[in-house]
Amino acid sequence: MLHTSILLIVFLPLLAAIVGGLGNRAFGNTVVKTITTGSLFVSCLLSWPIFYGFISGTATAEVVPVLQWVQSGNLSFDWALRVDTLTAVMLVVITTVSALVHLYSWGYMDEDPDQPRFFAYLSLFTFAMLMLVTADNLVQMFFGWEGVGLASYLLIGFWFKKPTANAAAIKAFVVNRVGDLGFMLGIFGTFIVFGTTSIPEILEAAPTMSGATIGFMGYRMHTMDILCILLFIGAMGKSAQLGLHTWLPDAMEGPTPVSALIHAATMVTAGVFMVCRLSPMFEAAPVALAMVTFVGAATCIFAATIGTTQWDIKRVIAYSTCSQLGYMFFAAGVGAYGVAMFHLFTHAFFKALLFLGAGSVIHAMHHEQDMRYYGGLRKKIPITFWAMMFGTLAITGVGVYHLGAGFAGFWSKDAILEVAFARGTGLGTFAFWMGVFAALLTSFYSWRLMFLTFWGKPRWIESEHIQHSVHKTPEGAGEDTTGGYQPHESPVSMLVPLGVLSLGAIFAGQVFAPSFLDDAAFWGSSIFFNANLIDAMHAVPYWVKYSAFVVMLLGLFGAWLAYIKDTSIPGKFVDQFRYVHRFVFNKWYFDELYNFLFVRPAFWLGRKFWIIGDQGIIDRFGPNGAAWVVQKGTVAAKKIQSGYLNSYALVMILGVVAAVTWVLM
Amino acid sequence: MIQTLAFYLFALLVIASGVFTITARNPVHSVLWLIMAFFNAAGLMVLVGAEFIAMLLVIVYVGAVAVLFLFVVMMLNIDFAEMRAGFIKNFPLGIAIALVLLAELVLGIGAYKAGALELGVADGSAAPMIGESNITSLGTLLYSKYIFLFEAAGIILLVAMIGAIVLTLEKSAADVRGQQDIGKQNRRRPEDATEMQNPEVGKGVEL
Amino acid sequence: MDFLLSFQLSAPEIILAVAGLVLLMVAAFAGNKSAQTVTYLAIASLVAAGAVVVELFTNDALSQGADAWSGLYRMDAFGNFTKLLIYLATIGCLIVTPKFFDAKGEYRPEYPVLMIFGAVGMGIMVSAVDLMTLYIGLELSSLSSYVLASYSRSDERSAEAGLKYFVLGALASGILLYGMSLVYGFTGSTSYLGIRAALADGMGTGALFGVVFVLAGLAFKIAAVPFHMWTPDVYEGAPTPVTAFFATAPKVAAIAITMRIALDPFGAQSDAWQQIIIFAALASIVVGALGAIGQENIKRLLAYSSINNVGFILVGLAAATEAGAAAMLVYLAIYVAMSLGSFVAVLMLRDKDGNQVENISDIAGLSRSHGLLALCLAIMMLSLAGIPPLFGFWGKFVVFQAAVQADMIILAALGIAASVIGAFYYLKIVKIMYFDDPADVVEAKGETSRWVVLLVTTIFVSPLGYLLTPWLGDLAARAASAMFFVI
Repeated sequence: MLHTSILLIVFLPLLAAIVGGLGNRAFGNTVVKTITTGSLFVSCLLSWPIFYGFISGTATAEVVPVLQWVQSGNLSFDWALRVDTLTAVMLVVITTVSALVHLYSWGYMDEDPDQPRFFAYLSLFTFAMLMLVTADNLVQMFFGWEGVGLASYLLIGFWFKKPTANAAAIKAFVVNRVGDLGFMLGIFGTFIVFGTTSIPEILEAAPTMSGATIGFMGYRMHTMDILCILLFIGAMGKSAQLGLHTWLPDAMEGPTPVSALIHAATMVTAGVFMVCRLSPMFEAAPVALAMVTFVGAATCIFAATIGTTQWDIKRVIAYSTCSQLGYMFFAAGVGAYGVAMFHLFTHAFFKALLFLGAGSVIHAMHHEQDMRYYGGLRKKIPITFWAMMFGTLAITGVGVYHLGAGFAGFWSKDAILEVAFARGTGLGTFAFWMGVFAALLTSFYSWRLMFLTFWGKPRWIESEHIQHSVHKTPEGAGEDTTGGYQPHESPVSMLVPLGVLSLGAIFAGQVFAPSFLDDAAFWGSSIFFNANLIDAMHAVPYWVKYSAFVVMLLGLFGAWLAYIKDTSIPGKFVDQFRYVHRFVFNKWYFDELYNFLFVRPAFWLGRKFWIIGDQGIIDRFGPNGAAWVVQKGTVAAKKIQSGYLNSYALVMILGVVAAVTWVLM
Repeated sequence: MIQTLAFYLFALLVIASGVFTITARNPVHSVLWLIMAFFNAAGLMVLVGAEFIAMLLVIVYVGAVAVLFLFVVMMLNIDFAEMRAGFIKNFPLGIAIALVLLAELVLGIGAYKAGALELGVADGSAAPMIGESNITSLGTLLYSKYIFLFEAAGIILLVAMIGAIVLTLEKSAADVRGQQDIGKQNRRRPEDATEMQNPEVGKGVEL
Repeated sequence: MDFLLSFQLSAPEIILAVAGLVLLMVAAFAGNKSAQTVTYLAIASLVAAGAVVVELFTNDALSQGADAWSGLYRMDAFGNFTKLLIYLATIGCLIVTPKFFDAKGEYRPEYPVLMIFGAVGMGIMVSAVDLMTLYIGLELSSLSSYVLASYSRSDERSAEAGLKYFVLGALASGILLYGMSLVYGFTGSTSYLGIRAALADGMGTGALFGVVFVLAGLAFKIAAVPFHMWTPDVYEGAPTPVTAFFATAPKVAAIAITMRIALDPFGAQSDAWQQIIIFAALASIVVGALGAIGQENIKRLLAYSSINNVGFILVGLAAATEAGAAAMLVYLAIYVAMSLGSFVAVLMLRDKDGNQVENISDIAGLSRSHGLLALCLAIMMLSLAGIPPLFGFWGKFVVFQAAVQADMIILAALGIAASVIGAFYYLKIVKIMYFDDPADVVEAKGETSRWVVLLVTTIFVSPLGYLLTPWLGDLAARAASAMFFVI
C-alpha cells in the first residue's frame, strides 16, 4: 500500500511534467493544466494518509527500492524512496502547497501564452523536490537538490523575455552553485570518511566519529565539523542564509505562484530539511552546530531589518522568508530539530498563503507590486484581505500561552525562541535575543505591509501600471486618487487555495504542535530528538514565553503609528537616520560588495582568459590554426592537381625514387 | 671472342639508338631509331641463345608495332615543340631524379661487384628442355604449365580489340545518311519533288 | 597437373570468361538492341560465378584452399571473400548503368561484356599466387577499365580520363613489371611460395628494390598517395556508372592483391615495407581529406574520399598482422557498400534535361525536394565520415584497433586526428543538402533498379549493419587467416 502510493506520489508529477512538457503544443492549455494539476492533487491526497499514519503512530519507516543506480568498486547506491516521519512531513508540505499552487496558477497565469510550459516546470520541480526529501542516500539527495535548482532557474526565468528575470535566474543559479560546491565537497568527504553514501549507515556511524580528525587545507580539523560545515554551506545556498542569500529577493522576478511554492514553502527549506535529516551527524559536530546557530540567528535579524524598508510587496515577503529560515536554522543549531521542522511545516502554509495573497493583490492591481501605490484595498478585495490577514496573524505569531490557542506561527516560532533560551548556552541566548528582536521587526513589517496595502487612502493613480490601465496621468485624475480604477477580486481558482492555506495558517500549529514538539515516538529515528531539551523548553520562565507576544504587539503598534495614525513618521524617521536607512534599504550593500569582491574580478579574469587564453592561444593555435593549415593544404592540393599528364607521371616517379631512397637509407 | 665483340657492338648500338630515339628532332627519325634499337635487341637475344625471342622482336616489334608507330607519326601532325615546352619545364627536376636513380644504380652495381648482392637461383620450373629447340620448349611450357596464363593473355588481347572497336567504330554516321532504297527512288514522282509557284512581283518564294 | 581439379577450383573465372565470350557473340550478332538483354545475362553469369564461389567457400573439403594450374592460382578463403565483394560490386554497378547511357543512346552490349572481362581479370588477380598470374589478371582488368573510362565517346572529359588512365596505368605497369623482374632476378622464383622461401632468411638490396617497385606499381592501382594523381581526373571524367565501378570492384581487387603480396611473399620481411605503407596510409588520409575540401564537383570529391578511405585501409596493412588483414577486409566490405551507395545516389541526381548533376552547389536544399534521396546520401556521407551509429564507423574502428594492437598507437592517433579533417567535407554535403536554400536543379526520377541498390546499401551502412558484424567478422577472419597459412 505504502509502496504503491509513494511511487505514485513521487512519479506522477514527473509523468505529468513529461507529458505536459513534451505535449506542450499538441495537447493545448487545458489538457496540460488538467493533467499536471490532477496528478498533483492525487499525490497530495496520497500523502496525507502517510502523514496521518505517522501522526497516529501506526506507520513505520520504510525504504522502497526503485532501481539500481551505480555499482562501481566500493561506491554503490540505488534509487530508493525513503519514507519516515521527516519525509512524511515534507511530503504533505510539498504536495499540498504544490497542488494548491497548481490550482492557483489556473487563475494567475490565465493570460500567459506559455501555460503548458509553466505547469510542466511546476510539476518537474515538485518531482525533484520529492526526490530530494525521499532520498535514501546523499547522491540521490544531490540529484533532487540539483533538480530543484534547475526547476527554480527555469521558473525564475520563466518570462525569459524580461532581462531582469534572466539576470535573476542566472544569479540564483550561480549563487546556488557556490553552496552546491560545499554540498558536493561534503558528500565527497562523507564518502571518504564513511565509505558509503547511504544516509542510514552514515547516521549510524556518525556518533562514533565524533572527535576524529582529518587534514584539511593544511590544518588538522575535526572530521565531523568539517563535513558538517561543508554540508551546511550547501544548505546556506539553497536556503538563502546570510552570505548566500542574495539570490532570493531577486528570484521574485518569477511568477508569484513560483515564489509561493519554491521560494517560500519548499525549495528554500531544503537546507533545513537536510540539516534535520543529517541531525545525528551535526550532533557530533559542535563547531558546525554553533555555526548553524549563528548564521541562522544572524540571517533572521539581518533579513528582518531589510524587510522593514522595502516597497515591493513580494520582496518584503521574500526577506521575511529569509528571516524565517534563519529561525529554523538556529532552532536546528541549538539541537531542536523537531522544532525546526515544525516551524518549516507551519511556515510553509502561512508563507505560501502570504505569497499567494500578495499574488492576488498584484493580480487585482494590474501587476503593480509597489506597496506605495496600494492603499484602501480592504473593501475592494475582501477575501484576499482576510487571507492575508490570517497569514499575517500567523507569521507574527499571534496567540496567548495561557489560553493555549494561537495561529500556526505562534506555536512554532515561540517554541523556537523558548528552546533557544532553554539551551542555556551563550550562543543559544544570543539566538534568543536575536529571535525576539527579529520577531519585533517581523511584526512591524508584516503589519506595515497590511496597512500600506489594505488601509489608508487609495494611492493607485501613482502607479504606472494603473495609469496604463485607466489611460490617465496623476494630474488628469485630479482628486480621485483611484484614477477610476476598479480592483477586482481574483477568480475562484485563486481563492480556493487561499482558503485552504488560511485553514493551515490558523490551525496547523494548534493541531500538530503536540506531535511535532513533544512526541519522540512521532519522530522515531528520523531525526535526533533531544527530549531533555524539550522538557527544558517547556520549563522556561513566563517572560520568555510572552516575550514574542509582547514584541508582536509592539511591532503592531509601531506599524499602526507609522502607517495609519501619522503617515509622516516614516519620512521623518528616514531623515533622522538617513545613513542607517540607506544602509538597510540597500540590503546592507551585499550586492555591491559581492559585485566588487567577486563578480567584477571574475569578469575581469574571465575576459582575460577569453581574450588571451581562449582566443589568443587555444583558438589561434587550435581550431583556427588547424583550419588555416587545412585551408592552405587544400589550396596546395588543388594546385598540384594540375591536370597535366607529365606532372602526374613526375609525381609518381618522384614517389618511387623517394621510396627507393628511403629504404636504401 | 667474337661473341664478346658482338655483344658490345649490339649493346652499344641499343643504347645509342635509345638515346637518339629520345633526342631526334624529327619524329619519323625517332621511330626509325627505335626500329634500330629493336634490331639490336634481337641481336642480343640471338647471342644468349634465345633465337625465337629474337625472331619475335623482329617480326612483331619491328614488323608490326614500329611500322604502325611510323604510320601514326606520319599521319598525325604532332607538334613536338609544344610537347617539349612541358618537358623543359620539368627538366631540372627530371635530371635530379635521374641522378638520384643513377647513384642508386651505381650503388647497386657496386654492391653486386663486391659480392654483397646475390642473384637468385632459378627454381628450374621453366628450364629449357635439353636437346629441343627454343620454340619447342616455349610451346611446351605455354601449352601445359602456363596454359591458364596463356589463355588469359588471349582474353587480354580480345579486350584490347573490343576496346579499340568500341572506341572508334562510328556506326551512327551511316545511320544518319541512311541507306539507298531503290524501290523508294523508283516510286518517286515529279509531283513529289517539284512544285509550281507563281510569286507576286516583288515577293520572294517561300520554300 | 590435374586439369579437372584446376577447372573446378578456377570455375568462377572460367564461367565468367565463357559467359563473356558468349555474350560478345550475342552482341555481335544481335547488335545494339540486345544491350539490355546482355546486361541481364551478364548479371546472371556474375550471380552464377558468385554461387560457385559460395560453393567453394563453404566446401569443407576445400576449407584449407587448394592450388590449381600448377601453382599459379590458388583457391582459398581470401580469394573467395574478395571475389564475392568484387562480383557484388560489379552486379550493383551493372544494375544501375543502362539508364545512364540510355539518355544519350550510347548504351551498347560491349559495356557489360567489358565489365565481365574486368571481373575475370580481378578474379584472377585475387587468386594469383604467382607474379605472372597477378600481372595477367591486373592487365586484363586494367585494360577493361581503360576502355570503360573513355566509354562516353561524345564526352571529351571521358576521352581525356581514359587516356590519362591508360598512360599513367602503363607507367605503373612498367614500374610493377620492373619490380617483378627484380624480385624474380634476386629470388629466382615468380611464385609466392618460392619468393617467400627465398626471402625467409633475409633480403638483399636487389630484392628490396623489387619489393618497393612492386608496391609502387600496386599503389597506383589502389590510388594511394603519391600514386593517386590520376584518380580525381579519371573519376570526374569517366561516366558516372564507370566511376562507381572504379571506386568499388577494382579497388577491392587492387587492395586485395596489395595485401596478399605484402603479407604472403614479402610477409617475412614486413620491416622492409611497413614504413612505406605507413607513409602512404597517412599521406592518403591527409591528401584525400585536404583535396576533397576544395572540390566543387561531387564526383571529384568522392574520388578524394576514396583516396582518403584507402589511407584508412592501409592503416590495417601497416599493422602487418592477421587482425589487421581481417580489419582491412571488413573495412573493404563496408567501403564497397558506402561507395556504391554514394555513387548511385549521385547517379540519380539528374537535371530536367536528364544530364548528370555534378556540382555540389546544385544539390543545395535537396532534402526539401527529394527527401529520401537526400537522406540516403546523407547517411552515406555520415557513414563515410565514420560517425558512430552508422556502419562506416565500425570499419574505421576495427582498422585502428588492429593498429593499436600492433603497438602503432601514434599511427592510429594521427589517423584518427586526420579523419576529423575528412569529416568536414562529408558534413558539408549534408549541410548543403539540408540547410541551404534550394537550388532546384535536381529532377531525380524514381528508377526502381537504382532505388533497390541505393536502399540496400543504405540499410547495410545504417546501424542495422551492426547485426552483420559477427558474420562479417568471421568471414574476414577466415579470409585473412588464409594468407597466414603456414606452408
